[in-house]
Amino acid sequence: MQNIATAPLVDFVEVFQTVNGAVFQSDRENCWYVDFAGKMARFDYRCMMKLRKAVYHIDIEALLLSSELTPDLEIVFICACDHCYVLTLLEIIAFKELLEGTFVMLELNRILHDRVYRLSA
Amino acid sequence: MKDIIRVKCLLSTEVEALLNQQIKKEAQSSSAYLAMASWCNQNGYDFSSDYFFLQAEEERMHQMKIYKYVLDMGGSAISPEVTNIKIEYNSFKEVFEEALDQEISVTQSLKNIAANCYKEQDFVTIEFLNWFFKEQREEEYKARRALELFEVIGEEGTGRWQIDKNVGKIVYNSEA
Repeated sequence: MQNIATAPLVDFVEVFQTVNGAVFQSDRENCWYVDFAGKMARFDYRCMMKLRKAVYHIDIEALLLSSELTPDLEIVFICACDHCYVLTLLEIIAFKELLEGTFVMLELNRILHDRVYRLSA
Repeated sequence: MKDIIRVKCLLSTEVEALLNQQIKKEAQSSSAYLAMASWCNQNGYDFSSDYFFLQAEEERMHQMKIYKYVLDMGGSAISPEVTNIKIEYNSFKEVFEEALDQEISVTQSLKNIAANCYKEQDFVTIEFLNWFFKEQREEEYKARRALELFEVIGEEGTGRWQIDKNVGKIVYNSEA
C-alpha cells in the first residue's frame, strides 16, 4: 500500500485579526479557533460565549489602579472548556480587543446573512 | 461563512442578559412575598398571609416562564442568587406599600426589556412579553386595591381586622 500523506482539510475563515492574535471560524466543525497567547484553541458556541463573558468581566481599570504588589496576572478559566489562559494586563487588553472585533465581525456576518439570503426573495 | 451564533440562539446577548435580570427580579419578588406572608402570619393577619403565599407562587411561576423561554430560544438561563430580602416591617400598611412598589418595579423592568426588543426588532420576545404585560395589569391592580383598603376602611378599631378579611377577595376580571 502506498503511503500517501493527505493534507488536513482546512476550512478556516478568518473572522478577525489584530497584531496580537486572530480568530478563525470552521464551518465544518461549527466552531472557532482562537490564536492567541502562543496557542491555537478550539471553542464551540457555548465555550466562546463563556470566554467572551469571562474576558469582558475583567475590570481592567481596577487592575490598572491597583497598587498591590501581587503580579497583575489574570487567569481566564472557563468551566467545561479545555483551555485556560494566564494573561498579563497588557494581554488582557489585547485579548479583549481581539474578541470585541471578532463579535463585531460575527454580527456583521449575521446582518449579511439576513440581507443576502434570509430576506431576499 | 456560516452564521453560527444565530443558528444556535434566537436571542441577542443584550436581550438574554435582560431576561436573566428579569428572572432574578421575579425570584426576588417571590422571596419578598414569602417574607411578607411570614410577617403577616406572625402578626395574626392570616388572610393577608395566604394572599402573599399565593403571590409568591405566582412570581415563581413567572420566573420559570422566562427561564424556560430563554432556554427554549437557545440562550443560557442563569439560576439567580437571591439575597437581602427584607423580613421585618414596621406596620401592616407598610407591607402592602412594599408589595405595590415591587409590582411597579417589575412592570417598569418589563417595559425596559420590551423597549430594547423593539430597538433590535426582536418581535418574538415582544410577543412573549405581552403575556407578562397583561399579568402586570392584574398584579398592579390587586396591589393598589389592597393598599386602598387602608383608606376606605381605615385602620382604627377593628379596621385592620376588616382589611385583612377583604384582601383575599380582591379580583381583577376586566376583559379589556
